[in-house]
Amino acid sequence: MIRNHIASRAADTNLSRRSFLAASGAAGGGLMLSLSLPLGRSEAAQFEGFAPNAFIRIGSDGQIVLTMPYVEMGQGTYTAIPMLIAEELEVNLNQVRLEHAPPNEKLYANPLLGVQATGNSNAMRGAWKPLREAGATARTMLVAAGAKRWDVDPTSCRAQDGKVVHVPTGRRLKYGELAAEAAKMPVPAGVALKAPANFKLIGTPAKRLDTPAKVNGTAVYGIDARPPGVKIATLAQSPVFGGRLKSVDDAAANTIKGVRQIVRLHDAVAVVADHMGAAKKGLAALKIEWVDGPHARLTTADVAHELEQASLGSGAVAQTIGDVEKAIASATTKIEAIYQVPFLPPRNRTRSLIAGRCSRSRRAPRRSSILPRKKRAGDRPYPREAAAASRCSSSSEPIWRMSRKSKCRRTERFAFTM
Amino acid sequence: MAFTIKVNGNTHSVDVDGDTPLLWVLRDVLGMTGTKFGCGMALCGACTVHVDGVATRSCITSIDSIGNSAITTIEAIGATAAGARIQKAWLDREVPQCGYCQSGQIMSASALLASNPHPTDADIDDAMSGNICRCGTYVRIREAIKQAPQSTGQGG
Repeated sequence: MIRNHIASRAADTNLSRRSFLAASGAAGGGLMLSLSLPLGRSEAAQFEGFAPNAFIRIGSDGQIVLTMPYVEMGQGTYTAIPMLIAEELEVNLNQVRLEHAPPNEKLYANPLLGVQATGNSNAMRGAWKPLREAGATARTMLVAAGAKRWDVDPTSCRAQDGKVVHVPTGRRLKYGELAAEAAKMPVPAGVALKAPANFKLIGTPAKRLDTPAKVNGTAVYGIDARPPGVKIATLAQSPVFGGRLKSVDDAAANTIKGVRQIVRLHDAVAVVADHMGAAKKGLAALKIEWVDGPHARLTTADVAHELEQASLGSGAVAQTIGDVEKAIASATTKIEAIYQVPFLPPRNRTRSLIAGRCSRSRRAPRRSSILPRKKRAGDRPYPREAAAASRCSSSSEPIWRMSRKSKCRRTERFAFTM
Repeated sequence: MAFTIKVNGNTHSVDVDGDTPLLWVLRDVLGMTGTKFGCGMALCGACTVHVDGVATRSCITSIDSIGNSAITTIEAIGATAAGARIQKAWLDREVPQCGYCQSGQIMSASALLASNPHPTDADIDDAMSGNICRCGTYVRIREAIKQAPQSTGQGG
């Protein structure tokens, strides 16, 4: 079912689609069960210790931490995905704590997409089996640890409410008490997953785990990223598709307090500043001339009209189930609607460079701050501005061009918006 | 020049131009990112804070207009009686979806409740119409505001 594009990349390591589970002693003597996409064993070995990757971590306090590769955008991912773990691990949702995965496409790519992205209803489909397997594997190892402690047959024990229970005697140990020993248990292969009939959490209503942080201001959205030394940039882009920058007078902008750098790109100008207030003020102070190019007369209405005309064609058939035409013809109630949406949203990106390597930007930011921006008279048709992090040198290196490369050529922290 | 402002009971000195919007001082200078940027033109309400208890759009409120006024943000609204009740109701009703606008929603709702403990539908419309929610949580927002007066305020 899972089409794992990562597998093809890892073909030289001769590993296929199966998930790779590795247990190791975590800090504090807990059980750390790392779940990764198929990677070479030498790479998997690097997951031990503090290496951040997709994992379950059980501390001696019984806290279960799941590093979330998927972005919560209001779709409930931060509740539904932990349910998969909790279900197989036999714990309550309130025992699961979440950490968001750092950007690392090797570790956190969605198995269905092959990239670290969240969207198109792929998170649950991608996580459905591997995260349940991760939970079941952890449960099996905890049960084994309990059985060993009591010197009994593991089949006489079971997991229940965050504890391992020895059924004949009623003895029980909390997961936290067994975490260190469980870490030393062999990783079982082919663990049995619960039958859907036995699900206690999956398929049931649950209070969302992300709600508390969203009512007290602590939820961190992409636009809220504040890496050390962060600078904020905003930009003006050619108001016409295909247009380019002719000239910029930045004399006034450079005198504004907090403005650090004006960056010229072939089709845009960016202002880097200490805060967005200064960046926007600097941008407004620029005197910019554009060369509109071949699309100078193209209007938003033209684009909408072209799209509308294109939508009137027959289109491509992705799937056919039943006789659609017949069903529509015989329907007693027909609802027709035309939907048009503007260009959305104001995007933001955070970029940082550590030890000479530029991190790839997370998908999270652009997925998380998605409020439509109102168009106003005199505004550029396709406004592109938002927060970005930057510590640019006094270089005119095109940020835009650099951003399209997976590796940066310069040792600097920068960011851009798009 | 430097401005001294009172935010959530703490005094901060910030060295920015006087026309800098409070929003960016909060988010980028003080690092308090609970207050959100939505439109920058007071059209969406995402940036709402309290200035001396009054719901105010921080994106168009210049720092030199604050003076000695007390600023309260989403990070501290739970310390007020109305704010705690609103947060509790928001949790009970599970109001947020994506949540991006909810800081502003809660700040507007808290200001409403503080001045009008039992708002009618019309009162709610008046107070909340400037807060836009792309997810469309308006129905739950209204329910939560109506529930909040009965809440014991254990939210947040």
